[in-house]
Amino acid sequence: MERLHLEHVLQSVSALESIILRSFGPEGGQVLFTRDTGRVMLSRSGERILTALHLEHPLARMVVECVWKHSTITGDGSKTFVLLLASLLRMIRATAAKEPHMSRLHNSTAAAAEAATARHLADRLLEFALTELDGLIALNVLPHGSRVSLDDITAKTPPEPSFQTLLLSFFHTRLGNVHCEFFRDLMCELLSRWMGKTGQPSSSFRFIDNNFPALHTQVSGLPAVSSRLIEGHVIHRDFATPWPQQNRRPVKAVVFSGYLQPRLLAAGDVLELGGEESVTEDASVVRFSSWTERSLESVIATLQSFGVSVLLCALKQSSAALALAAQAGMGLVECVSDEEMSLFAQLSGVTPVPDSWAVHPEHIATLTFCKPLILGAHRYVHLDFQDAEERLKVKPCSLVICGPGEEQTDQYARAFQAAIRMLLTAWEPVDKTEISTLDVKETFISNKCTSLPTDAISGESACTSCSMHPHQKCVIEPGCVIPAGGTFEFLLHHALHQYDRSCSVSVSISAFVPVSHILANALLSVPRQIYSHNRKRFLQAQTRVMALAPQQSHILGARLRQTDGPPEDGKQSARSCRKDSAALTLLDLGLESVSCKYHLVLAVVQCLTSLLRVNKVLRTHTVLHTTSHKLLSARLESPEDVDKDESP
Amino acid sequence: MQASVPTATRIKMNSSQTTSRLVKKSPSVCTDLPLSSSDVRDKLRLMKELLGSCYGPTARLKQVHNNIGGSVVTTSTSSVLLQAITSSRPVIGLIKSSVLNHVSRFGDCGLFAAVLCLSLVEEAARRGVGNSAAIRAYDRLLALCTGYLQREDCGCRVELDFCSSRSLIALARTVVSSKPTCVLAEPESAHIGRLAVRAFLLTVPCDAPDPVRLGRTVTVPVEGRPVLESAVFPGLLLDAPEHLCGLAGVRGPVRAVLFSASLAGDLGELGDGRIEVHAGVDTDAQILDRLLELGRQALEDGVKLFVCQKVIHPVLQHYLRCGGLIVIERVGVSLMEPLIQLTGAQPVATLHAAIPSAAYGEVHDVSIRHFGSKTMLHLHPAGETAVCSMVLCHRNETMLNELKLVCQKAEHVLRLTLREPWALLGGGCTETLLAAYVRHKSKNDAPEATSALGCSQTEYLLAAEAFCRSLESVAACLEHDGGASVIDLTHAHHWTLPSDVTEQHLEGGTAAALCGCGALESCQKKKWSYLNSECAEFSPAPLSTASPLRQPAVLDSFSAKVNALRVAVETANLVLDVRYVIQDVN
Repeated sequence: MERLHLEHVLQSVSALESIILRSFGPEGGQVLFTRDTGRVMLSRSGERILTALHLEHPLARMVVECVWKHSTITGDGSKTFVLLLASLLRMIRATAAKEPHMSRLHNSTAAAAEAATARHLADRLLEFALTELDGLIALNVLPHGSRVSLDDITAKTPPEPSFQTLLLSFFHTRLGNVHCEFFRDLMCELLSRWMGKTGQPSSSFRFIDNNFPALHTQVSGLPAVSSRLIEGHVIHRDFATPWPQQNRRPVKAVVFSGYLQPRLLAAGDVLELGGEESVTEDASVVRFSSWTERSLESVIATLQSFGVSVLLCALKQSSAALALAAQAGMGLVECVSDEEMSLFAQLSGVTPVPDSWAVHPEHIATLTFCKPLILGAHRYVHLDFQDAEERLKVKPCSLVICGPGEEQTDQYARAFQAAIRMLLTAWEPVDKTEISTLDVKETFISNKCTSLPTDAISGESACTSCSMHPHQKCVIEPGCVIPAGGTFEFLLHHALHQYDRSCSVSVSISAFVPVSHILANALLSVPRQIYSHNRKRFLQAQTRVMALAPQQSHILGARLRQTDGPPEDGKQSARSCRKDSAALTLLDLGLESVSCKYHLVLAVVQCLTSLLRVNKVLRTHTVLHTTSHKLLSARLESPEDVDKDESP
Repeated sequence: MQASVPTATRIKMNSSQTTSRLVKKSPSVCTDLPLSSSDVRDKLRLMKELLGSCYGPTARLKQVHNNIGGSVVTTSTSSVLLQAITSSRPVIGLIKSSVLNHVSRFGDCGLFAAVLCLSLVEEAARRGVGNSAAIRAYDRLLALCTGYLQREDCGCRVELDFCSSRSLIALARTVVSSKPTCVLAEPESAHIGRLAVRAFLLTVPCDAPDPVRLGRTVTVPVEGRPVLESAVFPGLLLDAPEHLCGLAGVRGPVRAVLFSASLAGDLGELGDGRIEVHAGVDTDAQILDRLLELGRQALEDGVKLFVCQKVIHPVLQHYLRCGGLIVIERVGVSLMEPLIQLTGAQPVATLHAAIPSAAYGEVHDVSIRHFGSKTMLHLHPAGETAVCSMVLCHRNETMLNELKLVCQKAEHVLRLTLREPWALLGGGCTETLLAAYVRHKSKNDAPEATSALGCSQTEYLLAAEAFCRSLESVAACLEHDGGASVIDLTHAHHWTLPSDVTEQHLEGGTAAALCGCGALESCQKKKWSYLNSECAEFSPAPLSTASPLRQPAVLDSFSAKVNALRVAVETANLVLDVRYVIQDVN
C-alpha cells in the first residue's frame, strides 16, 4: 500500500511533461519510439506519445487516460493538457503549503493537511470552471477573436483571418515545418468536395471523421508531396477474377454480404449419406454439390440479366463462384471490409444483398467506372458513383496519403484525422435551446457588432444569464478562432485577474480569490513554454496582447454581473473590441479554435480534481501458479487497483 | 528542461497482465536529443561508410551471415543489405525503412537515397546548422532541385528515344553493371542488358486498349550454364512432366483447358456441417466418376493441353494421358494469370456442369526445350499476347539469385520510362551538376530565401553548402580504388582519376578520357576542381554547347532517382527533427 502525497502526483505528471516538452511549441520536434516488436513509430502528437508509453504508475496512467479521452474528442491540445495540469499542480502545492488555517484541521500530519487543502482547492477550481469560465471567455476572450467562414475554403488568398490559417497552424503543431502548406491545401480541397452546398459543416466533418479509414489510402515509399485526392471511392481490395476489359458504361454493381454459392450445411447440420431409408441411385454426395453449383449458376444468370458487371462481396467466395463470374465477364471483389461496405452503401444508396438469390433492381448501384488502381505496392479497385453530385450534394473523393516510410505515412494520416476532429469541435453546433441567446450574442461576439446600445446590453445580459446556469454546455459560437501563440492564455489570465479584483471589491467571498488566481497563473506557463527558447519574445508577446486588452471593459463586465450598467458603457466596450480584433489579426501567429481551448481548460480541471481525490494506491499481486484457492479468493476481495472516483 | 529529463527514464513498462508467465519488463531506454549523442553519430557514419562502399560498378561486396550458422549471403544490393542490418538505434531503423520502401516502389537508387540521406544529416551537424533551420532550408533546396530536373533545359536529363533501342539498352546496362555481385564480364552484362530490353519490349502490347496493361515476364533460372546462354522467348516455359520428355512437340493449333479448382477428388464446398457416410456408400468413387466424365468431355472436344492450378487425381491423369493429352498439374496461382493471357482460356472451377465451349483456349504449338538439366515445355502464343519467358543462366546459385534480382530491377526501371520518358546522366554526373546548380542558385536567392524561411542568411548558406557537399559525396562514393574525383568547371560533370595521376596530367587533359556518364571527352581547355574542395560557384553550361558530344553510355532511371532524392531529403529532415527517443528493449 502506498500513500499518495501531492508530491508523488506532481512527480509523475512532471515526468510526462518532460517528454511532452520536446515536441511542444514552434521549436519542438518528433519523438521516436520503438516497440518491443521492433516497429518504429514517430509522432509529434501528445496523445500518441503518451498512449505509447505503457506506464506503470497508476496515477500516470490515469492522466494518460484523461488526455486520451480529451483528444479523441477534440483532436487537439494533448500537450497543452499535460503542461497546464503540471502547472496547476505546482500552483496548488505552493498555495496549499502556504495556507496555515487548514493545518489545524484534526490532529493529522502536515502532509495530510496539505492534501486536504489541495483537494479542496481542486474541487473549488472545478466548480469555478464549470460555472464562471464560459462567461469569462465569452466576455473577455471572444471579442478579440473572430469568426472564420467556411465559404471560401479553396480560395488561394482568402481574407484574414481565414480557415486556411487555422488549419496551417494545426498542421504546424503536428508535422513540423515542412509540408504544412501542402497538407493544408489538400485538406481544404478534401473538405470542399465533401461539404454539401447545404447543411451544417459539422455534419460533413462528422461524416469524414466516421468514415476516415475507408476514405484514405496510405502509400509508403513515395514522398509526401505525391499525396493527392482521387475522384470517387477506393476499395482496398483487388479483383479476385481477371478484370474484364469492359467498355460498357455505366457499370452496374451489386454488393453481397453473404456467399454467392449457397452453403448447404450450416455448422451443426449433419448430412447422412446412404442411410437405410434413402438408399437410392441419387443419394450420392455429388448430387448435393451439383445442386449448389446449379443454384450458383442461376444466381450468376440473374445478375447477367440485370446487366451487372461488378460484384462486391464481404466474404471469401468459392473458386466455382470466381470462375463462373469470370466466365460471365464480371469483376468480383471479395473480403471487402465493413467500413468500405457501409461507405459504399451510403454513397450509392443501395443496400447489400443478404441472400444471393434475392437480387432485385433496387440492389443495383450504377457506377460511372470501375477499374483497378495501383497505389504503391497494392492493386485496389477504383470506382465512382453516377449522379452522386445530385443525390448527395457532394463530390465523393478519396485521399491518398504518401510518405517515405510507414511511420510517416501513418503520422500524416493521423494528423489529418485529428484536424477533422479539431474542426468538429470548433464547429460544434450549439444546442437548440441556446440558439436564442446566441442570436443576441452574435452582435457582441463576432466582428459584426453594431453600436446599438440596446443590443450590446442584451448581449451582456445574455452572458450574465449564461454564467448563472452551471449546466449550460457551450456559449462559444461555431467557428470562432483566436490568434495562436498564447493569446488565449494571456487574455484569460488577464480576465481572471480582473475578475479576481472585482470579486474582492464587490463581493467579499474570499474563498474565490485563490482559485481564479491559481488558474490565471497556471495558464501563463503555456506561453512561457511556447517562447521557452527566447524569453524576450515571451515578454514582447505578453505586452502586445495586454496592450489590446481594454481595462475598463472587464471591470464593466464584472460589474454588469451584479448591476445593469448604463447603456453608454456598453456602447463603448462594443466599439473597443472591434478595434482590438483588427489589431490582433496583424500578429503573425496563426490561429486556434476558442472552443477547443475552452474544452481543454475544462478537461484539465476535471482531470486535476479526479487526480487529487485519490489518496492511496493498493498494489495487489497476481498469483501466477495458484496452489491455494483460499489465497486467490482472499486476493480477489481486495480492491482492484486504485479507488478511482471519477469526477462527474 | 535538461534537469527534468532523467525523471522520464523512471517511467517503466507496464508488465503484461495477459500472459501466464509474468516477467517484469525492463524499463524503456530514453535518449534525449539523439543526434547530439556521439554514439548515434558514430553509428550513422559507420552506416554511411558501409553503404557507400557498396555503391557503383566497382563496389566492394558484403557478406552477411548470422551468429547461428545460417547461410552466407554475398551482396551489394541495398534491398538485401538493408534487410540484413539490424541496429540498436531506432534512427537507423527509420532511414532503413524509408529506403526499403523506396526500393520496393522503384527498384533502383536505394543506395543513392541511403548515402545521400546519411550524408545530409552528417553535414548539417558538422556545420552546426540549427536543426529546424536545416530542415526548412533542405526543403527549399529540394524544391530547387526537382524544379530544375523538370525544366526543359535541364542539363542532366536525356530524352529517351523509343525509336531506337540504344538508350534503353544503356539504361538497362547501367542497372546490370551497377551490381557487381553478379560477376559479369563486359560482354555478359551487355548481353543481359539487351535481353532485359527485349523482354520488356515483348511485354508491351501492340494493339493497346485503354488503359494499357503490360504483360508478364516469367523468369526461369538455370544453374551451371554460361551467362551467354541466357535467352528470352515469347510465350511461356513450364516445367515439363516426366512422361513428356520424349515428346517431339505438338504442331498446329492446340486446344487447351485450364482448371482453377482442385481435381483431386475432394468434396465441393457444402458448408461447415458434418457429413455422415454409411457403410456401402463410396463417395470417393462417385466423385471420381464425375471427374472422369469431365475428362471424357475434354477428350471428345479435342483438347490437347490439360492444365490444372492444383492437384489432379492420378486416375484422371492416367486416363487423360492414355488419350494422348499433355497433362500439367500444380502450376500455382502465380502462373495462372499469364496462362490465361497466353491461351485466352477461361479457368474452369465447376465440376458438375459440362465445360462451356467458351472456356477453351488455344496455343499455337507446343515444343520441348532443354536448358542444362532442365526440360521445359514451351507454349507458343497463338497471337500477340505480351507474355514472355526469360531463361537466366549463371554459374552458381548466389550469382544466379543476384542476376534474377537485377533483371527484375531492370524490368522495373524500363517500365518506369513509359510514364516518364527520360533518363538522367549516370556515373555521378547528375549529382555534381545538381550540386553546382544549387550552389550557384542558392547564392543568388539567399536574401529571398532567408525572409521566406525565417532563418539567418548564414544559416541558409551553410545549409546549402551542406546540401551540395552531400550530393557531391554521393558521386565521390563511386570511386573505391583510391582514385580522385574531380569536376570540370564548365559542364560540372563528374570525372574519375586513377590514383597514379598527377596534377600535370590533369592540366594537360590526358588524365581521364571520358566523364562518368560518357557524354564528354576530355580536352585541354577544361578547368578542373577536386570534389569537396573550395571553388568558385558557377552556372553549369548546357550539354549542347559541348564538343565533341557523344551519346551518354551510362544512364540512370529518371523516376527512380527523382523519387530517391525526395525520399532522402524528407527522411533526413525527419531524422533531424527527432528530439527524443523511447526504446522498448524487451
